[in-house]
Amino acid sequence: MATNVASGAHNFKVVLLGEGCVGKTSLLLRYIEDKFNDKHLTTLQATFLNKRLNINGKRINLSIWDTAGQEKFHALGPIYYRNSNGAILVYDITDEDSFGKVKNWVKELKKMLGSDIVLTIAGNKIDLEHERTVPLEEAESYANMVGAKHFYTSAKLNQGVEDLFLDLTKEMLNKSEQTSQMDVSRTSQVLVVDDELTPVQTSCCSGSKSN
Amino acid sequence: MDGSYDEIISDNPFFVELKTEYSNLFQHCITQSWIICVPRIGSLTTRIFAVEDFCAHVLVPSDELPETHYSTLTEKQVTVTNKVITLEVTKGLPLHSHILFEETFYTEDFIKYKVWCIETPLEPNATFSDNTLSKEYLTSINDCIDLLWTQAAGRQVLDQIEHSVQLFIKRNPTLPVAVGALRDRVSELYTQCLQITLQNRRLRDKSKSCKQVLENIKLAVECYMQHLLFDALLKPICTSCAYEDSHLNKKIRNMCDIQLRDLDIKKELYHAVPKAKQILSKIDTYNTVLEKVLCLKQALNAINKMDRGNNVVLLTADELLPVFVFLVIKSGLPNWYSQLTYMREFRFSGVGRGDGDECAFLITTLEAVIEHIQSGALAGPPDPEAYYYESELTEEVLEARGRKSSLTESISTSTDTNGRDETLEYIFDLIKANHCEQIQAILLKNQKHIRNVEVIENNVLKTLGENLSDDDDSDTEIYHKLCHPLCNCKKCCCKISRNLLKTSPTVISRDSHGLTPLHVACIHGKANIVECLIEMNSDVNATDLNECTPLHYASARGHQNALLLLLHSGANINQANIDKNMPLHMAVNNGHLNCVKALIYFAEHSRRKIEINCVNESGNTPLHLASKWGYEGIARLLIENGAEPSFQNKHNKTAFDYAHNLKILQVLKSCTPNLYEYIHITNSDVKTLKCNDNSAVKLQKVGFKNKETHVTKAVENLKLIERILKAISYGDVKLACFYMNINYSVYLDMKNKPDSSSTLCHPLCECQLCKKKTGTYSSDFDINFTDTNGYTALHFAARYGLSELCNILLLNKANINCANKKGQTPLHLAALNNKSHVIRLLLDNGANINAIDLAGNTPLHEVSAMGNIGAAKILITYNPDISMLNGSDKTALTLAKDKVHLTIIDLIEKYANNYQIH
Repeated sequence: MATNVASGAHNFKVVLLGEGCVGKTSLLLRYIEDKFNDKHLTTLQATFLNKRLNINGKRINLSIWDTAGQEKFHALGPIYYRNSNGAILVYDITDEDSFGKVKNWVKELKKMLGSDIVLTIAGNKIDLEHERTVPLEEAESYANMVGAKHFYTSAKLNQGVEDLFLDLTKEMLNKSEQTSQMDVSRTSQVLVVDDELTPVQTSCCSGSKSN
Repeated sequence: MDGSYDEIISDNPFFVELKTEYSNLFQHCITQSWIICVPRIGSLTTRIFAVEDFCAHVLVPSDELPETHYSTLTEKQVTVTNKVITLEVTKGLPLHSHILFEETFYTEDFIKYKVWCIETPLEPNATFSDNTLSKEYLTSINDCIDLLWTQAAGRQVLDQIEHSVQLFIKRNPTLPVAVGALRDRVSELYTQCLQITLQNRRLRDKSKSCKQVLENIKLAVECYMQHLLFDALLKPICTSCAYEDSHLNKKIRNMCDIQLRDLDIKKELYHAVPKAKQILSKIDTYNTVLEKVLCLKQALNAINKMDRGNNVVLLTADELLPVFVFLVIKSGLPNWYSQLTYMREFRFSGVGRGDGDECAFLITTLEAVIEHIQSGALAGPPDPEAYYYESELTEEVLEARGRKSSLTESISTSTDTNGRDETLEYIFDLIKANHCEQIQAILLKNQKHIRNVEVIENNVLKTLGENLSDDDDSDTEIYHKLCHPLCNCKKCCCKISRNLLKTSPTVISRDSHGLTPLHVACIHGKANIVECLIEMNSDVNATDLNECTPLHYASARGHQNALLLLLHSGANINQANIDKNMPLHMAVNNGHLNCVKALIYFAEHSRRKIEINCVNESGNTPLHLASKWGYEGIARLLIENGAEPSFQNKHNKTAFDYAHNLKILQVLKSCTPNLYEYIHITNSDVKTLKCNDNSAVKLQKVGFKNKETHVTKAVENLKLIERILKAISYGDVKLACFYMNINYSVYLDMKNKPDSSSTLCHPLCECQLCKKKTGTYSSDFDINFTDTNGYTALHFAARYGLSELCNILLLNKANINCANKKGQTPLHLAALNNKSHVIRLLLDNGANINAIDLAGNTPLHEVSAMGNIGAAKILITYNPDISMLNGSDKTALTLAKDKVHLTIIDLIEKYANNYQIH
């Protein structure tokens, strides 16, 4: 899924999740166009953007999907984040609720996608440091606990945005290379797992038939 | 699609040479973060490059305008607008080159630099090859055909694909309905088509030389195949999505009056909505996935936001999604889910790219929108009248207001200025919040008040005319408060005029939209309020500005209880609104099966005729709507009740044409065999049947033909009896007679000329002479044939009160006491349906008045339970046995008492007394 064999490039899908008004779209714009709140944009919509990267000769095609942050669209999350390789969970450091939302997202993503997805947490709007309500230590220790990288960003001042995406890309690259190596070494294991699974499935099927 | 050109920059000879041979320059570019332009592979003919060549391709951002203005290391000025590089040349025209893509490189030390892959070299006098790219972006089926035609230099590839698609359709006359299986088959065909295409030498060579060409060929083959296959493909897909589609349609239909602001869409986006809607609603006219996805993209691009200076401002996902939801709701497409499935599952050339590309994003967005609509997360059903009143009354606020109003009321009794708070809006809010008693109190008080005012008016007139003092009508509240009934002191005049000026709402008050309280109660489905308003003599057939009655709203919103209350209070079931929609149209359009059932069964039960094939402004019958939106259950119900699928609307479309999946088609077809015959005969032949003897003879021949076939088969008989019963249920006596081989015209003659009938020896005489007169033909059709439930023609004739037909049947020796599977005789049915004429006729012809059905009920039991007074009166005169007990040990009298049918109790008791006396 992640690797396009023909061009040798990795295709990674990244979703931006987080409450409305935490600055997801601004982060994305800053990264792709290096602009903030600008009127002279080449893209009309910031909902889907592509970026080609080349890290150490490895070609990466990032597809970044922005999602709607309003509560009423929360249920649509799974439709957007399925098959993604990475997720950026954005919160506003001046808004404690938005950090709570991030925790919810993390829980949900862990439940639905397990460890297949690389999580990155971004505390945005550090230009408003004096209004901070989310404690620095709490955010970082939480990120550590769930195995996610934590970044402080400011789309306005262009701080940390580049690092955030670069680091996420590297992580995703590592993960995809690991899994492809694992696949080669695990072929024999997979068979064993399959053997275990098959009787369960048949018994389940026969059970439903007998009903 | 966007960014479809791709090549591996690090393999580009220009870039390789720069990196290896001129590493100093290269390193310098990186550290200065200058932009390196690399001409795409194949655009440069020479493989030998000089330093100047490289310098001409390094862009240094200018200090003032780093975004758009650059200079090359060869001191040339360069501007970049909209992904086009423009190079100022001293002589001649400026040079243009497209930026194909941008790639951000990171070195091992994570130093960042940008590389632009450009279409043509940035050298004015460079000799670059004319090996231009084949058209980069395929945007329509024509592009695809064009590509395959020109690249293969001939149309044999197209012909071959067409041939294999036709072969595929021939081999698979019925495609599987499961999407998975269908997809696998089509995918196999796709591979086959691709193989055929690549057998062409020219195409193979070109695709080998450039990966881009191969991608385009794949896409073109897919599109051409889909273009040819689409008609065969859509029906199975729609069938597998029938359930989802019909549910989505129901949701959408019930939201159709939603407004932009209900979805919190920003005002800046309003202007773009009509255009986007227009684009999106064309999505079903495209056959290929490519075009459908492009249609989505165009619709999204049409939604752009303008700020005050008419600049385009960025649109975020938060703003985009609601607009898209709105567009889907308003598009009027009946099969969104099928469209989505088609786009998602049949995009073969996109497989393997993962979810990365923009197509996937657009399709996912559509999926999210559909999911959002289907989830019902859109806050409840939108209120049409909310458009007129902006009131956000929660229970709490209402209670507070209630307290306040009760306070004002208590004050008002003393100061006589009540009703300050009782605007119509307030009443509507109360209805919404289901405060039945409060509404009742206010409305009753106001009604009383108006009566009082009228009384005063009368009195004033009277007193003016007659100059008499005190009259008996003066015992009203206001009069008590006046000094004297005729007093015209300032205080009293003030009181009277204040009362005359009061404009408190009553049950007949209307708002600017023409809605009465009853309308609003029906919109919100508050059955108890509907009941209470009807009790207060609301006009059940009041119409608003769209000429909609409360019944329209109740059926459109699916409030069955309110609907039944209205029907029982005499609401007109066939009232048309401004678009000539009947309540039945509304219920069907919004997919409320319960309301459709209620309307049809009520009409059947009360013998009011509901026009099941009524047409609205655009010529649609309810069946058209059910078929279009894919409501299978409703379509079946309509068909069972005589809806005709072959009627054409104003676009010359029948319900068959609107059926977009096989399930609906099946329903439409299932009932047509016998019904079809029926309709065709009624439309053409029966007209002639009426007029003269010649054609009657002709028809008899037809009848005999029929007869010969059905003598042999019991099944045929069953079909025939069903046809007869249907004709009877339509009240078509002539047709029923025709089916039963009875000469109706002879019967008519007999009736019209009493002298000829007098020649009969006896009404039931069977002598040759009389037989001829009554027109009984010795036919093989037994008049006492029953359908599967044991109903004979006489049963039906009795049930529908066709005394004329009963007479004919009896003359033709129909068994008067035959019982159906429930043990009911024709007399039972006539009694149940209160058909007094038929009852009399049956009893006169020797029907058993004390016949019992399986539940032990005699006709009198049925009559007492139903409260059919007319029938009871007649039954009583034929001396029934009133002491008989039914299955639950009840006499007819106890049944009547249980149901409190006073007239019947009275009748039976009187009869019992007489009986005892005798």
